[in-house]
Parts: sequence; structure tokens; C-alpha cells
Amino acid sequence: MNNQRQLFQQLFEDNSKKVYHLCYGYTGDRDSANDLMQETFIKVWQNLDKFRNQSQLSTWIYRIAVNTCLSYLRTAKRRATDELNDNIIENYAEEASEKQEQIALLYKSIAQLEENERIIITMVLDEVPYTEIAEVAGISEGNLRVKIHRIKHKLTEIYNSNERV
Amino acid sequence: MKGFDEIQQLWQGQKPEPNVSFETVLNRIKSGKNALAQKLLWQSVAVAIAVIILVWIGIAVSFSTWTTYLALAIMAGCICYYLFNQLDDYRQINNSACLLSKPQDYINYLKAFQQKRNRFNTRNYTIYEACIAIAFVLYGIEMYFVLPFWMFLSTVMFMICWFLICHFVFMKQYIRNENARIQEMITNLERINGQFREE
Repeated sequence: MNNQRQLFQQLFEDNSKKVYHLCYGYTGDRDSANDLMQETFIKVWQNLDKFRNQSQLSTWIYRIAVNTCLSYLRTAKRRATDELNDNIIENYAEEASEKQEQIALLYKSIAQLEENERIIITMVLDEVPYTEIAEVAGISEGNLRVKIHRIKHKLTEIYNSNERV
Repeated sequence: MKGFDEIQQLWQGQKPEPNVSFETVLNRIKSGKNALAQKLLWQSVAVAIAVIILVWIGIAVSFSTWTTYLALAIMAGCICYYLFNQLDDYRQINNSACLLSKPQDYINYLKAFQQKRNRFNTRNYTIYEACIAIAFVLYGIEMYFVLPFWMFLSTVMFMICWFLICHFVFMKQYIRNENARIQEMITNLERINGQFREE
């Protein structure tokens, strides 16, 4: 039991930040991101004995995080992008600095992407290896590269157009 | 104008970090388990009390017709059926096998689960309504022999009106809302599933 707790604590420390980024990129809302991150780690704890070493632990955790984000639909209606964006800006209003504003703008731009694009790009931004992203998303690496190329281009365009406004 | 590399640098320098500690998650794990167990326990207690009351009525009150006993048995059956389905629902929600599958498969699982719940909820409403109506009709036979005719007739009229309202207003409204909710969810799930397809 103690070993399992230690392993879980290690997993939490190694992965919580990236899982949080994924959830924040997906929901565009800090509170929801914290809830989803907690839910992800609760599921990780409950399923720790089912991990079969077929993939890296981080990939396995990401898979649970992605599916938890997808089931977010079950409990909350998908909010309109404008409402999402207002939320992000509100979240950052308290600590407004030029850099924070740019990050708020970045999250605002991510919120304008499709759901799977948000998931993929947050992992790309966190420098998760492509093989791992492909495994988490359940698509081939070749296909992932095509998608990433398109999403990078799309995000850069959206970000720059938001910056001009 | 920023390029993607600059955007990535910006991302990596961001402050937002989870404001949830490891201890908080551990506590939630403990309380989460307890909350589910507590909920199930209280539901079981409530159902057990309801069934005991029905059995007690059946034993303590001397009814003149067997139809009343059948009505009580139907009511008790409905309550037990409700608890059984609640337990089954909890078991399915906590089925974690699908949680570890590919996002596309997980979306299909969510879709199938929601459709099944929707069929179940809407069908069950009709079943409960029918069972309660049958139970009241059976109890009505006893009342026919016990109550003065005018009182029996007004009770029957009141019950018929109540069932008509339940059927044509509440049930229709409930099924309409459930279907709209599920349709919105399925549309969203299908849209997201489409995004994960190979290009």
C-alpha cells in the first residue's frame, strides 16, 4: 500500500502540470481544469493495478486525461467559444502583465480550435514526443504529423489575428 | 507577428499551474469512495424502510381482497427494481475498462452508454406509470367494498385525472427533454469522433 502511494505521488509530481495544461487547453477554464485534473488522477489511482507496461506510464496517464476531458461533455454543455474566451481573460485579469496577457491570448486562440486539435496542440507545446501523442490520440504517427502541421499553422494564424485586434 | 516557435516559448514560460496538491487528491480519493458508498447505503436503507412499511401494512392491516396484497407487492417490486437499476448504473459508470481505450472507442462507449440510459429512462417512466396505475386499480377493488359509492367515485375520478396529467403532460415533457439532451450530446460526440479520424 505504501509503495503504491509512493508510486502515485511520484506520478502526480511528474505529470500533474502537463495534465493540467491539457485540461486547461481543452476547457479554457481554470476551475474545470483543476477538477478534470483531479478526476484524472483519481482514475489513475483506481486503475494503477491495470497498468500492463504496454506503454509508458505518462502515455497511459495522458490517455486517461484525454478520455476524462472527452467525458466532460457528459456533465457540462459545450460552452460557446466567446464565453470560453471571456473566462480565460477574466482568469488572467488579476495578474495582468504583458506576458500574462500574451498567454491569455494563447489560451484564447487554443479555445478557438476543434476539441482534438486542442488536445494535440497542448501536448505538442509541452514537447511530448510524437510517438506518444499518436498513441494517446489513437492515430498513426504519419497522420499525426499531417494534423500537427495543420494545427500549428492554424494556431499561429489565429494567435496573430487575435493579437492584431 | 509571432511564429510557432515563439508561441511555444511563450507557452513554456507560462505560470498557470494546478492549485491542487497531492494531499488534496488523496483526500478526494478517500472521500470519493466514501461518498459513493454512503449514497448507496442511504438508498438501500430508504428502499429497505419502504419495503418494510409495505410489508407491515400487508401484515398489520386486514384487507378484505387479495388484490390489495397484489397491489402492495407491485409497489414493493417497483421500489426494488429502482434500487437494482441504480446499483447497475453505478457499476457501469465505474466500469473503467473503456477509460483506457482509444479516444475514438471511448467516444463510442459514451455514445452507446448515453443511448442506453436514454432508452432505459424513457421506457422506465412508462413502466413505473403502468405499474402504479395497476396497483391503484387493484387497491380500488378493495375501496369499492369499503368506501361509500360517491366517495369511491370521486376518488376514482381524481386518480384518472392525475394519471392523465402524468401521462400527457409530465411524461411527454420528460421524454422530450431527455431526447433533446441526449441528441445534443450524441451530436457533440459524433462531431468530436469525426475529428479523430485518419486523414
